[in-house]
Amino acid sequence: MRVIPHAVMLAVACWLYWLATRIDAETGGRISPAVWPKAIIVFMGLLCAYEIVKRLLVKSEFVAKGLVTSMESGEDKPGERFGMLFAGIGLIAAFIFTVPWIGFFLATAIFLAVFPWAGGLRKPVVCVAVSLVGTVVLAVVFLKVAYISLPLGEGPFRALSLGLLRVLGVT
Amino acid sequence: MEFLAGLGGGFAAILTPMNLMVLTIGLVLGMLVAVLPGLTLVRGVVLALPFTYKMGVGPALILLTAMYVAGTYGGAITAILFRIPGEPMDVPLLWDGYAMARKGEAALALGWALVAAFVAGVVSWAFMVALTQPLAAVALKLSTPEYFAVVAFGLASVVTLSGSSMVNALISLCLGLLIATVGIDAIYGAERFAFGLPFLQDGIEFLLVMVGAYGVGEVLTRMATGFAASGSTDAEGKPRFVTSFPRFVEVVKMKATFARGIITGLLVGVVPGAGATVSSFVAYGIENQYGKSARKLGEGAPEGIVAAKSAATASVGGAFVPLLAMGIPGSGATAIILAAFLLHGIQPGPQVFAKTPELVNLIFAAVLLATLGKCILGYFAIRPLCKVLEAPEAIISAFVVVFCFVGALAQRNSLPDLYVMSAFGLVGFLFERFKFPLAPLVLGTILGPIAENNFMTTMVSFDNDWTVFFTRPISASILALAILGLAWPVIKAAFAHFRKAPPGGQTQTP
Repeated sequence: MRVIPHAVMLAVACWLYWLATRIDAETGGRISPAVWPKAIIVFMGLLCAYEIVKRLLVKSEFVAKGLVTSMESGEDKPGERFGMLFAGIGLIAAFIFTVPWIGFFLATAIFLAVFPWAGGLRKPVVCVAVSLVGTVVLAVVFLKVAYISLPLGEGPFRALSLGLLRVLGVT
Repeated sequence: MEFLAGLGGGFAAILTPMNLMVLTIGLVLGMLVAVLPGLTLVRGVVLALPFTYKMGVGPALILLTAMYVAGTYGGAITAILFRIPGEPMDVPLLWDGYAMARKGEAALALGWALVAAFVAGVVSWAFMVALTQPLAAVALKLSTPEYFAVVAFGLASVVTLSGSSMVNALISLCLGLLIATVGIDAIYGAERFAFGLPFLQDGIEFLLVMVGAYGVGEVLTRMATGFAASGSTDAEGKPRFVTSFPRFVEVVKMKATFARGIITGLLVGVVPGAGATVSSFVAYGIENQYGKSARKLGEGAPEGIVAAKSAATASVGGAFVPLLAMGIPGSGATAIILAAFLLHGIQPGPQVFAKTPELVNLIFAAVLLATLGKCILGYFAIRPLCKVLEAPEAIISAFVVVFCFVGALAQRNSLPDLYVMSAFGLVGFLFERFKFPLAPLVLGTILGPIAENNFMTTMVSFDNDWTVFFTRPISASILALAILGLAWPVIKAAFAHFRKAPPGGQTQTP
């Protein structure tokens, strides 16, 4: 279990090296553009292999740490809440995949209402109020102050976004 | 004389209504991110970066610089009054600042923190102004092998100071360097790791890596352990939201502590990768070792506050020196400011002094005005800043995620950018979970192209002779320093490991 992250990284390094061997360029005898990434991949692979061997075979307590280790907090971490985490990942995924269809503003309003709830804030009035006020404030900041172009959505949702823009005075 | 005129031009440029407004917004945002639960200074500056796309490069740099400067102070208030360090750099303030607050001297503790921030801010500003141009003149004489060595030294420093396992830090750095190679290669136009996808052929914007890993990744990390309902402000007794300054004689008496803190902050700040947090802890350690009141440290001694705060503040001036002179960021926040330069098509370094000296002077002016503004805001805005602590973390995190989405969309309004940013959010979470530090990943992504360009140009110029890096005295010396820096924690750990083992290697028992 404790070697999984490094084993995954080693597998990624092997795959990337294979990809790097397929980098093709006419260099006229000069250094190839594959050299730099290949050198990094080999170094990364060796580091992963070293860590895996150390953890599996040597079982050494030897660890080279950075110079500021003593500053890191030694406090115990609270228990993990995987349900909450997966809810958060699901909400972020839902936002990014629905935003092209329902538009940025509706997606943001829903997200701002649901995410705090999923994060344990059991105050529906606060969640809804934050969502509505937050969406309007963000719309003003992004569209009228920062001039950022954002997805408006499709069909009726596009009409809804355009209606909001008209209300805010954005042409 | 010409230099002073340029500096005066920097102040004249910043003293326009628009730039002053941007400076004030930056100061307020910097204070807020330093106080808000779930946000740190670097994350705050990262989230502000996308909003600078549509700004001119001047206002963009003013905003981020003001945030950086103000962010080094805000957390001191909550650390002293409520025992809540807004930033890791404020942890040493708990030991003496909060101890003073418990003795009923909270106002004086805040006063010492403010005086330290002011004095160190002004001195480090003078140091930055005096040193940057001469260093840039030296940097101008460097060729590509030396420049590659300088970048390699910067990357090695980040790994050396990583805190957790160095192997993990190096792996993180390698991944960052590899991310920077995605897309069309600059010299030959060869496609690398793009899989024929147009959005990957353009390369992965370092901004997406930064915003995803620091923003979304950190939100997921906090979500996995449960958000706090709100920042607790249960101090012993009702804190008074006022600052009371020490007498001038008392300040003069503490000149040695100020000097130690400021020198430590400047030196640590100049080293690429080490910022305010490292400075603060190192200065406190030095004060504990050599200070006159070393024995009182930890029990509510103003020396502890002055040492930590003056070092953290002085590191800002120090961190700007390598950024402006060589294009190498001295801290996490200056890495984001470097990103702002690059987003506007400007490569900081010696050429900036020749091509756009007004930008350097603008930053000089912004740092000094932000230092003054920070002190004014720190004096008058304690109560509203403390009020912010009551905001539930779940709501703040929801807004952080939305800001990350906008940050990803802002540059090109491209949905694949949103997906890439979110993917790096997951990478950031997994990195945190498996103890791979994020700073090397992000810095590798930013400095990777600079390192590769200098490496490739050297190899092309010197007929593929890689030994040139080790035969030219300056590049060889810098690379030797980088290698020594990387090897030192290994040597230290090996020494400690073998010293623990019993003599004669009799570690096995029947």
